[in-house]
Amino acid sequence: MSAILEAWNIAYRAGGRMLIEGIDLSVERGTVTIIVGPNGAGKSTLLRVLCGELAPATGEVLLNGAPLHRIPAWRLAHTRAVMPQASELGFPFSAFEVAHLGVEGIGRGLSRGDRQRIAASALDQADVAHLARRNYQTLSGGERQRVHFARVLAQLEAGRTVETRQVLFLDEPIASLDLRHQLALLNKAKCLAREGLTIIAVLHDLQLAADIADSLVLVQAGRLVARGNAGTVLSPGRLLDVFGVSLIPPSLPPSPWTLASSN
Amino acid sequence: MTDRAIGTQHLAMARDRKPLMMAVLTLLVILASGLALGSGATGVPPSRVLTILAGQSSAPAGDALIVLQVRLPRLLLGLLVGAALACSGALMQGLFRNPLADPGLVGVSAGAALAAAITIVAGDALLAPWIGPLPFSALPIGAFIGGLITTWGLYLVATRQGRTSIAVMLLAGVAFGAMSGAIIGFLAYLSDDRQLRDLSFWSLGSLSGATWTKVAAATPLILPVLLLTPFLARGLNALALGEAEAFHLGVPVQRVKAVAIMLVAVAVGASVACAGMIGFVGIVVPHVLRLTAGPDHRMLLPGSALLGAALLVSADTVARTVAAPAELPIGILTAAFGAPFFLWLLLRRQGGIAL
Amino acid sequence: MTLSRRALVAGSALMLVGRPARAASARRIVSIGGAVTEILYRLGQDAEIVGVDSTSLYPAEALRTKADVGYIRALGAEGVLSLNPSLLLAAEGAGPPDALRLIEQAGVTVVRVPGEPSPAGIVERVRVIAQILDIPERGAALIREIEQGFAQLAEAKARITRPSRALFVLSLQNGRPLVGGQGTTADAMLALAGASNAAASLSGWKPLSDEGLIAAAPDAIVMMEHGPDGAAKDPFTLPAFAATPAAETRRLVVMDSLYLLGFGPRTPAAARDLMAALHPDQAGKAKQP
Repeated sequence: MSAILEAWNIAYRAGGRMLIEGIDLSVERGTVTIIVGPNGAGKSTLLRVLCGELAPATGEVLLNGAPLHRIPAWRLAHTRAVMPQASELGFPFSAFEVAHLGVEGIGRGLSRGDRQRIAASALDQADVAHLARRNYQTLSGGERQRVHFARVLAQLEAGRTVETRQVLFLDEPIASLDLRHQLALLNKAKCLAREGLTIIAVLHDLQLAADIADSLVLVQAGRLVARGNAGTVLSPGRLLDVFGVSLIPPSLPPSPWTLASSN
Repeated sequence: MTDRAIGTQHLAMARDRKPLMMAVLTLLVILASGLALGSGATGVPPSRVLTILAGQSSAPAGDALIVLQVRLPRLLLGLLVGAALACSGALMQGLFRNPLADPGLVGVSAGAALAAAITIVAGDALLAPWIGPLPFSALPIGAFIGGLITTWGLYLVATRQGRTSIAVMLLAGVAFGAMSGAIIGFLAYLSDDRQLRDLSFWSLGSLSGATWTKVAAATPLILPVLLLTPFLARGLNALALGEAEAFHLGVPVQRVKAVAIMLVAVAVGASVACAGMIGFVGIVVPHVLRLTAGPDHRMLLPGSALLGAALLVSADTVARTVAAPAELPIGILTAAFGAPFFLWLLLRRQGGIAL
Repeated sequence: MTLSRRALVAGSALMLVGRPARAASARRIVSIGGAVTEILYRLGQDAEIVGVDSTSLYPAEALRTKADVGYIRALGAEGVLSLNPSLLLAAEGAGPPDALRLIEQAGVTVVRVPGEPSPAGIVERVRVIAQILDIPERGAALIREIEQGFAQLAEAKARITRPSRALFVLSLQNGRPLVGGQGTTADAMLALAGASNAAASLSGWKPLSDEGLIAAAPDAIVMMEHGPDGAAKDPFTLPAFAATPAAETRRLVVMDSLYLLGFGPRTPAAARDLMAALHPDQAGKAKQP
């Protein structure tokens, strides 16, 4: 019905090797899609092709019905935000300035005060308002990741003045976070999805992925091997096939933890 | 204090810092300029400097000439070159995401030096029939063109499928620097005594040959660059996160890179052509500003231009007065002014500093 | 920018008007270049000199009593103009050209003195300076004296039957000799002194390799008294120098650089001294003029 992002037959080649190949994918608006798979399966590459950072060797990605490579960079920045795995900063920007980078040049009809309010509120939502004035370079890995989460939230908030059908891409967004912040970030993402934002993320933690995803995408050796809800994708046979681990079904309940605040 | 309160307080800070900083820097430029016009080997009283500048030249012809033909063009050239070098330094550091980058990294200085060496050594024989009849010296023109060609060449080497690799450009620049050093060495071997002295003198850098002609030639090259750089500020800020992140934020990364490299090549090429090699300004000025006012390029780029202009003009004022009537090489003074201040800033900021 | 435009207009208007010419009696000379200053002193014009460049090392009182306007190639327009000169005598290489142009625009007569390193060149320098100072008799007298000196030199040179094979070493940085080949002032001086240049196969000032040095087989080494690594070291401690014929007789001539290479009024005497030092058994002692 309302597919916001469609990809058909995409492949990406680097250094003479196919990193991903023959992938078809359709993502519904307002859903959370999680890409899972073993190391080196091509999860991040797939995400980078879907968000427009890498141009596919074959096939095409459509965002809101338009070919991705035809959408100019500024327009794309209003439609989707990307949170990277890890980011080193060349200069001693404060956390507030980093969050503010998300709103610079994004959005229409926003005053300077509006933009600063958006950045401050995003820091608040990512639970890093108390770090606003700290030098980003002196923050811990987890704190940095939350600052970047604030930055993409700010970007989407500002971009909403131009485009409301938005996508948020997250590449291992919780890798350096403690458990409380892992849950808080995923919870926030899920809330945003309820409000109509589309989330596409790469996650390593299968249990968290199974819990939060509306739809799981399992990739192996550059190919999409399964797509659907956690129960169908993460069957014991497939886990043995893809990850090489043998799990007894009860150890992976459909919803291992109930997030207290998710409802 | 609640989180929200801190956030709001930060907003106020971010809003207020820029105008104040700009006002302070502008004041510095005005002070340095006043001092430069008012002092020199010849004692022209400041009041007379003012009447001469106002055009009511009741003053003796000699003083008016000193102020209007010697000090004023030298001041203007100093402002232009200082602003160009410091602003280019800030641009390069933003582009390379490295606070140690210097305007010479895109090859413009090496190219200009090589072209200057060729002009000096081969010029007499090869270029004279072509350029000889022209009413200006071939050296600055050769240096300017050489700088531009080199930067363009390095840009082509580093660009594949419409994407410029900054790392490749840096490495190609290092390779070209070594090559041009070798060629200059060979040219120095071939050159006679006079050419050798011309070469070493040119590379020293000085504002002592400032004339209205040079000001007229440098202004249309450097001033547009200074006026255009603020438009790159947002792009450079986003580039601090990395090229992919800047693209995600809607920055036309390739265009920012190409424009920044072009602006630096033009500004530094013109500076080197007019005043030779003047080191240190391009590195230390953006640093000092970053340490005092933060890394935001919207402040850093125009601020560097102002502080660079003030620093170079002050250094030149000392260069031409301290040993008067003789002059000191200006490179000694930019380093002597800048380095201790820079060190002091570094020491004051010990702990928690990550450049 | 309006300011600078007005300044431009005012400046050009000023250039048209020019400066009132000064009376010859109140001449104020800035002398640029060691040989030029030396000639001015020999012509007895030292009272009129107000400034000299930093290469004007002889006579020593020049830099002691006159204002120092800096290195010959790094002059500042305002520095020179602050001395309120009426005449600037510039040896070849004085600059930068734009500074000289500014000084000229300020109404100072700028005379470029030719710099060819030969007896004729020295005579020409004296002639040009005497003419611009309007003292033809003194100029003619000095020229006569210089020509006499060269004539005596030529006589002495004719008595030399076995010309010494000399190597001129300008500097000895890191044990690497920088030697004077063809076309250098050193080559010209060796010729005047009746010696042959051991580095005649090179042209210009060139670094010489150890093997090249041994192959050059100099009978004598000439070095400068001043300079970074001038005569501070004994060259014969270096293996390559020790392998030359010069080392056997330990023939090392050390002279003052301006005296030897300045090509001024003292050049005939300098050449006689060099000749005597290089050919101790052949040339008679120079008659002092």
